[in-house]
Amino acid sequence: MLALKRRLAYIFILLLGLAWILLSADKNAASFAGTTAAPQVGFLAPDFSLPTPDGDSIRLSDLRGQAVLVNLWATWCPPCRAEMPAIEKIYNEYKDDGLVVLAVNMTYQDSASAVMPFVQEHGLTFPILLDESALVGRAYQLRSLPSSFFITREGIINEVVIGGPMAEALLRTRVEEILK
Amino acid sequence: MIESFRALFAPPRDILLLAAALWIGLAFAEKRSERHGVSKDAFNNLVFYSLFGYLLGGRILFALANYSAFTDSPLNIFSLNTDLFDPIGGLFIAVLVGMIYGKKQNLSFWNTLDALTPIFATLAIGLHLSHLAAGTAFGSPTTLPWGIDLWNATRHPTQIYEMIASLAIFALIWFRKTELSPGTLFLNFTALTAGARLFLEAFRGDSTLIFGGFRLAQVAAWAVLVICIVLKQVNRQKESIN
Repeated sequence: MLALKRRLAYIFILLLGLAWILLSADKNAASFAGTTAAPQVGFLAPDFSLPTPDGDSIRLSDLRGQAVLVNLWATWCPPCRAEMPAIEKIYNEYKDDGLVVLAVNMTYQDSASAVMPFVQEHGLTFPILLDESALVGRAYQLRSLPSSFFITREGIINEVVIGGPMAEALLRTRVEEILK
Repeated sequence: MIESFRALFAPPRDILLLAAALWIGLAFAEKRSERHGVSKDAFNNLVFYSLFGYLLGGRILFALANYSAFTDSPLNIFSLNTDLFDPIGGLFIAVLVGMIYGKKQNLSFWNTLDALTPIFATLAIGLHLSHLAAGTAFGSPTTLPWGIDLWNATRHPTQIYEMIASLAIFALIWFRKTELSPGTLFLNFTALTAGARLFLEAFRGDSTLIFGGFRLAQVAAWAVLVICIVLKQVNRQKESIN
């Protein structure tokens, strides 16, 4: 008798579970992240437009159709310095496949005059952007430096790497993922 | 308060929460391992070897799956980047190592799983805390008064829902009064965890959807629930025969 009651209870629980799966199905994919902008995997990358040290400006949304690595850095940050050669190497290897690197200097926590000597010292050839008013720092909810956002050709954040330095192999696997 | 917590344990520091959960779980589980017929030494060795297998296996399987990424920089296999890791592969190796060690030491399968259950339970709590810190496993938008501001919307605090469920499950398995037959503690924990996931996944905003909107994690949790129920029945039948 007890065994029968137990079996009925199990069947009831499983049926209840099935009913909940049906009831909570997201038929319009309404809860899915990909339609709004936020600095998290699965969301649209928050758009921004920032000046380069030469006085030009670059807007992220203009790069739609290309895979983008947004790297937030500062000259005083040791892991940022350490990962720059690997980023430069990967950029040169994959730029013809459609990779763009935007190295956004957190100028509001750094010194604008230190940026160009740093770029020359490391021989960086990808675009450097200056975030003087914390526009990107706020939009990307910066908590640690360096922070890297790997963005697909559709503008969706595919991977976020907080902290560093990133190993070359890590950069390569993540970049190959967004170039697909 | 949530903001301060998130700032304090923002990635990559969120890994500290998992390490603390593992350490606390180990302390709890070790206290009762002998009750399950597993000596403290055997228990500690099992955990140590499995953990070693997890870390080493996760890195090696990642490198094998992405070998072309390592050809230019083979020394990157020793990198401290925690992202160069295959967590599922690591788990597979950890289970394999644990099973080999258990076999060598003649540890009973179900008793060993029961002895390990407090670690699984505290790890689940630590995992949800780390999700809260990192803002991952986030909820769908809501207008409920207890919603939290995350990723530019007010959302269900699913990480907190899941943490409360895990705390309740830990309390249920730790403060039980009756003696259970081998395997029952582990199967109860797994079934309760699957049930909680099945229910709470409905409030998640990052579900993987299949077949026109069904949430993959709910379907998987339901399957786990079925397996647990079948195994409980099988164990009960075996026990009544003995």
